[in-house]
Amino acid sequence: MTRRALSVVILLFALTGIAALAQATLDRSKPPTPGPTPMLRVPAWTRSTLGNGAELVVSEKHDLPLVSFTLTISGGYNQADPAARRGLADMTAAMMSEGTKTRDGEALAAALQLLGTTVAVRIGGETGAIAFECIASRFPATLDIVADMLVNPSFPPEALERLRAQRLVALVQARDQTGAIASRVFPRLVYGDAHPYGQNITEATLEAITRDDVVAFHRAYFRPGQALVTVVGDVHAAGAKAAIEKALAAWPRGGEKPVFQYPAVAAPRASTIYLVDKPGAAQSTFAIGTTGPPRSTSDYYALQVMNTILGGMFQSRLNANIREEKGYSYGVSSSFAYGKGPGAFRAGGDIVSAKSDAALMEFMKELKGIRGERPITDEELSTAKDALTQRLPGTFASVRSVNTAMVTLWTQGLPDDYYQQYAARIAAVRREDVVRVARQYVDVDHLVIVIVGDRATVEGPLRALGVAPIAITDIEGNPVRP
Amino acid sequence: MVAQSAPSRSSTLRIPFEGYALPNGLRVVLAPNHASPTVAVTVWYHVGSKNEAAGKTGFAHLFEHVMFTGSGHVPYGVHDRLTEGVGGSNNGTTSRDRTTYYETVPSNYLETALWLESDRMGFLLDTLDVQKLNAQRDIVKNERRQRMDNQPYGLVGEIISNTLYPAGHPYSWDVIGSMADLTAASETDVKDFFRLYYAPGNAIVSIAGDFQPQQAKALVARYFGAFPRGAAIVRPAAPPVTRDRETRLVYEDRVQVPRLVIVWPTVGRGSDDRFALGVLDAITAGPRTTRLTKALVYDRQLATTVGTSQDSDENAGEWRLTITPRPGVPLTDLESAADGILDTLKAEGPTAEEIQRATAGLELDFVNDLESNLGRSMRLADGLGYENDAGSFQTEYQRMMAVTQADVKRVANKYLTKGRVVLSVVPIGKVEMAAKPSESTPYRRTEQ
Repeated sequence: MTRRALSVVILLFALTGIAALAQATLDRSKPPTPGPTPMLRVPAWTRSTLGNGAELVVSEKHDLPLVSFTLTISGGYNQADPAARRGLADMTAAMMSEGTKTRDGEALAAALQLLGTTVAVRIGGETGAIAFECIASRFPATLDIVADMLVNPSFPPEALERLRAQRLVALVQARDQTGAIASRVFPRLVYGDAHPYGQNITEATLEAITRDDVVAFHRAYFRPGQALVTVVGDVHAAGAKAAIEKALAAWPRGGEKPVFQYPAVAAPRASTIYLVDKPGAAQSTFAIGTTGPPRSTSDYYALQVMNTILGGMFQSRLNANIREEKGYSYGVSSSFAYGKGPGAFRAGGDIVSAKSDAALMEFMKELKGIRGERPITDEELSTAKDALTQRLPGTFASVRSVNTAMVTLWTQGLPDDYYQQYAARIAAVRREDVVRVARQYVDVDHLVIVIVGDRATVEGPLRALGVAPIAITDIEGNPVRP
Repeated sequence: MVAQSAPSRSSTLRIPFEGYALPNGLRVVLAPNHASPTVAVTVWYHVGSKNEAAGKTGFAHLFEHVMFTGSGHVPYGVHDRLTEGVGGSNNGTTSRDRTTYYETVPSNYLETALWLESDRMGFLLDTLDVQKLNAQRDIVKNERRQRMDNQPYGLVGEIISNTLYPAGHPYSWDVIGSMADLTAASETDVKDFFRLYYAPGNAIVSIAGDFQPQQAKALVARYFGAFPRGAAIVRPAAPPVTRDRETRLVYEDRVQVPRLVIVWPTVGRGSDDRFALGVLDAITAGPRTTRLTKALVYDRQLATTVGTSQDSDENAGEWRLTITPRPGVPLTDLESAADGILDTLKAEGPTAEEIQRATAGLELDFVNDLESNLGRSMRLADGLGYENDAGSFQTEYQRMMAVTQADVKRVANKYLTKGRVVLSVVPIGKVEMAAKPSESTPYRRTEQ
């Protein structure tokens, strides 16, 4: 409906527009007036339940012969990994591609290659997924292989050792990168070792994983009762459902969505700079932040607007100042992790070593500024809202992005009309809401400030700055005695 | 206007588009696609780092940054506000051969995007001053630090370019340039560069997405039609290189795990051998069925990762092999193991099933690349710019699909020869960890 009607409107506009263009002289001094905002076209979908209890969502999209398939599992390594075996979820996901009872790893890889596709198995913090994209005619054949991987993995012991060795080398390599070091140290210092958000994969946790662990993890985790299957693209809903029922017939019932319960985070300490020495580093990686709210917070829309003004876009305050005006960086930003628990607020970027002190001063200035010291202008508020709401139509452009949009509704427990209501929710955010959430969540008195850089260059100037006390830590975030 | 129609041929790569040129030489390609109410505008200039002179490296890329600092009628910041600030995005990229700028915007902002792009093509110098240049220079130096100097193995690309091509060859320096040259770039350099290369006769405007072609044609003519064509450009000669002997280097980096990189010179986009080289790449490393990955990572477990790549720039190309060892495995052993496998492949050629596996995924790759309006507009602009055919992606697809076992055997023997560069990246102070350390020369960085 909308598409045809919309095309006619544009065509009429175009014809009248051309006549006008031929006559008018061009005035470049003002931006052209944009036409009416295009109507938001949220794709339609059908929802049903499979015989084994898994939920199914199908959305047809026929402009290209493509299909995007995702099997999402609610819950991730934060729910399922034992602290002493961090990395088990990731290892199990990798082991799913190592062969089935009837296809060894190489035969599995060859079969998928001949179908022109790759199947990704990933388990993240709070969800896991088996996903692929394929040419529509190959969907049923690919689906059969995916079902085999899901139900009949063989988990060969030698594959476990190979994957373990690869991960151990990757851990060593991560210690050569300032950004990778910051990504390990920052969450550990914000949440502590007792909270899943603060736990890292280490040599010891990788060494502890056994094949029995993998077998047990797979059995407990991949259950239809906590699964959603999404299919988007050049399929017909009824046919897709029949094909999936058939392919997943051997996947036995059972399982339920996990309860997302996290331990309380210890009361935050007064703002502290944690300096990690990376001798000779040309740049320092900054990670500045604290615990944030879960995705379910009623402050979500105000936070989105606030963060867009602060650090979500190129011309946001942080990047406009620290990159564009001062030239200290190639790019800085800020974000909230959201999720089911208190996902972190984090600001940062890579800063040229010699300007680490000056950059920290600017970060602090902007974090305080958004809390009210620097008033939010009308233009900042309207640009942030426009950027957020007018981005939405473009997110339904590809089969993969439509699939992601469907999965998000399910994993975050959002209402069916979430996308239709989004613009109104953003529009309702007032300036005082933005300042209120900034004061609540950008807690400048209790920041973890991780700086990974060349200590010999940056420590003296950072001390002279006096923004916060400095604690020297090693590359895992453990205190180093002076 | 000269219209040229280009009907599509492949069964699934059906991307409707049309191309034409304005009287001032500006080439235009339009690809309507109403799947979502967005539009992508790509402006492609035929200038890259190969157009720089020695001592002025990094200039084309520095200039790309200058193009975002505002122009005659567009104050600084407005470009971002009218793209990202209305739910879209923008960026620019510089390669050895071309510089590309793009915006994706809601479809009602098409005219705005053309206003922005035409203003910087026509009026950039009206507002350019030395302060703007200096600010971007600092940012580019930070980009270099972030991408290369502060990145483990980050200098490999630069070392390979410096070594594979003879001194003075336009591909012998890295796109980002040297710190010293970036410092030396002057306001006059910027202005001369702009006047020569940023003219309609050297540019392509490619639009893909939700628009009506008649309206887009009128807008392109209105915003770009009055600019003068620009002077004739002498393109630098950047011939493919051949090497008759091996060059061995060892580079000490702030890394804990060594890495072996072997690079062979190949061909540019003008040679059809690139298609067989692409298939050779796909059967050599990647999935566990590929020759090197299967042998080194799976069967013999000497390596944690193996990667290969075939890249053809406009005039010359490179086939690269990168191997990360398992702890304790000497790079010398890895090199000889890899050479043994490649020798077998050269002697026997690939199997029919290997060719089939390598090409089976191509259709999905091509369709994925063309699914987004941005991917479409960039692909069409590249084809028009390099092959004078916006639809060359279809020819590329067909030629890749037509590659035979004999083709792959032939190019493997022709290009994977002893005339190659072997680079060992080792931890500082550990040159003995290099592959054949006694035959490898330490790579000394000139001050970048």
